Amino acid sequence: MNAAHKFGTLCLLAAGLMAGPAAAETNLTVMAYSGLFQERYTKAVLEPFMKAHPDIKVTFFPLPSSAAMLGNLRAQKAAPQADVVIMDVSVSKAGTDEGLFTKIDETNIPNVKDLYPNARIPSVAGVGVTFDNLVLLYNAEQVKEAPKSWMEMAKAPYKGKVVIPGVPDIQGLGLVLILNKANGGTDYLANVDKGLAAVAEIAPNVQTWEPKPEVYAPIITGQAALGVGYNARAQVNSEQSGGKIKATIPQEGTIFQINTINLVAGAPAAEAAKTFVNYALSPEAQKSFTETMFYAPTNSKAEITGAALDRTAVKNLDKVMAVDWIALAQVRDKIAEQWRRRVLPASR
Amino acid sequence: MTSLTLCHAEPRRLGPLGTASALLLPIAVVNAIGFLWPVVNLLKMSFREAQASGALGAGYNLDTWTNALTDSFTLELITNSVGVSLLITVLTLIASYPIALYLHRSTGTWRTVLMVLVVAPLLTSAVVRTYGWIAILSDRGLVANALMALGMAEPPRLMFNLTGVVIGLTEILMPYMILALLSGFGRLDPRLEEAALTLGASPLKTFWRVVLPLTAPGMALGGLLCFVLAISSFVTPKLLGGGRVFLLATEIYDQAIVTLNWPLAAALSMIVLVVFGISLTLYARALRRIA
Amino acid sequence: MIHAEPAEMTRLAQGQGFLSLRGLTRRYDHFTAVDDLNLDVAKGELVAFLGPSGCGKTTSLRMIAGLVPASSGHIVVDGRDLTGVAPYKRDMGLVFQSYALFPHMDIARNVAFGLEMRKVPKAEAAQRVKEAIAMVRLTGREHHRPAQLSGGQQQRVALARALVVRPSILLLDEPLSNLDAKLRDEMRTEIRDIQKRLGITAIFVTHDQMEALTICDKVVVMNHGRLEQVGTPHEIYEHPKTAFVAGFVGRINRLSGRASGGVAQVAGITVSAPGFEGDVDVMVRPHRMVLSTGPAPADAGLHQLSGTVTRATFAGDILEYEVEAAGTLLKTEASTRGGEALLAPGTPVTLSWRPQDTFVYAAS
Repeated sequence: MNAAHKFGTLCLLAAGLMAGPAAAETNLTVMAYSGLFQERYTKAVLEPFMKAHPDIKVTFFPLPSSAAMLGNLRAQKAAPQADVVIMDVSVSKAGTDEGLFTKIDETNIPNVKDLYPNARIPSVAGVGVTFDNLVLLYNAEQVKEAPKSWMEMAKAPYKGKVVIPGVPDIQGLGLVLILNKANGGTDYLANVDKGLAAVAEIAPNVQTWEPKPEVYAPIITGQAALGVGYNARAQVNSEQSGGKIKATIPQEGTIFQINTINLVAGAPAAEAAKTFVNYALSPEAQKSFTETMFYAPTNSKAEITGAALDRTAVKNLDKVMAVDWIALAQVRDKIAEQWRRRVLPASR
Repeated sequence: MTSLTLCHAEPRRLGPLGTASALLLPIAVVNAIGFLWPVVNLLKMSFREAQASGALGAGYNLDTWTNALTDSFTLELITNSVGVSLLITVLTLIASYPIALYLHRSTGTWRTVLMVLVVAPLLTSAVVRTYGWIAILSDRGLVANALMALGMAEPPRLMFNLTGVVIGLTEILMPYMILALLSGFGRLDPRLEEAALTLGASPLKTFWRVVLPLTAPGMALGGLLCFVLAISSFVTPKLLGGGRVFLLATEIYDQAIVTLNWPLAAALSMIVLVVFGISLTLYARALRRIA
Repeated sequence: MIHAEPAEMTRLAQGQGFLSLRGLTRRYDHFTAVDDLNLDVAKGELVAFLGPSGCGKTTSLRMIAGLVPASSGHIVVDGRDLTGVAPYKRDMGLVFQSYALFPHMDIARNVAFGLEMRKVPKAEAAQRVKEAIAMVRLTGREHHRPAQLSGGQQQRVALARALVVRPSILLLDEPLSNLDAKLRDEMRTEIRDIQKRLGITAIFVTHDQMEALTICDKVVVMNHGRLEQVGTPHEIYEHPKTAFVAGFVGRINRLSGRASGGVAQVAGITVSAPGFEGDVDVMVRPHRMVLSTGPAPADAGLHQLSGTVTRATFAGDILEYEVEAAGTLLKTEASTRGGEALLAPGTPVTLSWRPQDTFVYAAS
């Protein structure tokens, strides 16, 4: 009796499980960064979205880098597995050129109309979903006051205590651009000589140009005192380490790093993907993610609370130098070559 | 003698050649699928059109190869990689040889314990072991502290440079070298050393004239293995090189993952393959001379 | 304990002989491999170390070569104490059971190795290598690798390699054990011939009594690390000093008896046993027992036992019998020189032997 009863329940359960999703749910796959990003984005955006759209089940497809995402998309071009991809703007440009994405604009995603102008990049199919900016990182125990200048890294006490992800990483490249402008360079597409010269002054103090897995850990442990990194991750790391690492935007200013959100061409759940992208760009989702991970919002209508806003670059927009990442890609190899010749020899 | 007997006894079975081909077939198929096909694809990729944005163009051209082969940086990468890998191979050989010889001569439980100690590092990934070296070699690490305790004011920088890469890779490759050497120590009969001794050769002479030549095949195998592993490793150079060490493997990683220039990454990979081919040829030639 | 006659003892103590071993001992953690070995070998002698495996003969040889350090005792060669001298300074030639040729060198270079180590001038070395190779009849094989030669040829190379340096002593460690029977006989003679021609002092370790008896001037029988008897092959065979020697060298029949008053009672007969009291082992070699049918030949000088054939085997040159007499199985053999037929089992027979062929030992 008992066994028969249990069996009946199981059958009912199984039937329910099989019928449920098949009838109502659409599976949507979002490809984006693994680690901290996955954890926070799931909490701040995916879960509220699924609550609002019970018919759509979102799966997070984590990958360590934008390049890895592009590699996956290339491999799956004939039969895409992912519907939506969040990746660095320069990588999404490559994907756009290869025809991997569907163009996003006001016609298919209504919330695009509220985006800041620099979140809409004409030659890229996707649109900006987060703004991040370069920050000067410092170990709060070894550096008591927030440094005023990026050139603090060149000072004698920090010999062997500076960590910078070097060119071709965007963080090292960004530092070159910032210092190029600060030293009177005008057109970074023509040359970045002044920037390279400034970084070469910092170079003797540099412990490593390849902090792994990321730049934040050695500063938290005190292995390094100063470094260059991204604001969002710095803020979260600061929070998690009890303030051992801090971040500041020095007087020379900073640059934006843009993550775009993209619709994969020929995606299996194209309609659900549009629904999701529209949600991800909504003031609500933008606010939620900014307050969770301190990426600056790309939607001008997002109203962020003061505390979280202070931890983004939003109030320092005057300090943000405009960078045309798409044009810069054309000269990146040249800069990398000069980096090897002019910066690295100074750091041996 | 044995094979002759076999042939006569069972004339209807496959001849030695037939048996060999039959046994080789599976590995040939696996190789074709797992090695040749990817290599052909890699070769194709190296001719794809590379756009500045990192996008792969639809067409094929010679640009990547022309640029790579005329760029002095490529030559620098090749000489760096080959030089550093040779250095690491030689150091690994010097560090491993006495251990392997000792292991070869030890017996019983002690030998088992030593074997486990030698093989154990292979069970952990190179990444983990590299992080171990970071802890040991850092400015506040074991070595630096020891040097400072000995009165050195400013210990030399031991990592985030070539020194770190060489130290780390040498240790990481030692188990492979020891195992290769041990496999080649089979011909090392203690009676041969005794024969040399009774013929008037001092222990040192015995080592040079008998032990070393007899272990040469093992050294060649270990050398080839370590050279190939060293030149193709990128995790350790990435983690311990501090962005100051430029090798083919790390550049392939950067081009594929950071710069997105897959055709260039593919072309550099083909260059690594050519280096492999050359070292294999040299190995075969060395082996023929030894044996 | 030294099982040697008083006269022999004196000679040992005087330290004569080209090679002298004095109290040579090798102890390991749990056992003593060689225990107080004393021996003198005259120049030009070929001496066999004979005994079962584990008797210490190889360890003794390796101590002489310097490959195993002696725990105590001395090794003296030509008046020079070599104890503690490194093997490569001892000037000995060693031939191994496994040949131990250098596989990476050709035959000529193998043979030349010892000369090179001794820095013999090139021209002279080349000449000596040529002669040594000719001596072992391998001219023309100079540039072969050891692996290309047969076992017997390899052992001849090993011999040439050991001898070309003109060592003070040639040490041979079971040199024939890896060869097949026919080759073994050939090599045995060859080694003896070369040794005699060169007049070199040599020690030949073997577990094969035939090898020891046939080619050696002197046989040293060892057991459990100790020397049992030293003597010429004839002495060892005809006058074994211990029951072990009698049993190990040649075949033997063993009968148990009791001695008292200078005679022993065994299987109903009386044998001379001067100096023995109590239980004794009486031993007679099978082929010294003469088998006869019918009434026993009346010869008061012979010991005689009556019995019955229990097993008869035809072996071509000889007929082998097993005879039950006085409750003991005894082996004997008869010649087939006169075309004798095999006796059937059950045939009553008489075994007769000379008193001097009777060995008596205290029962072990």
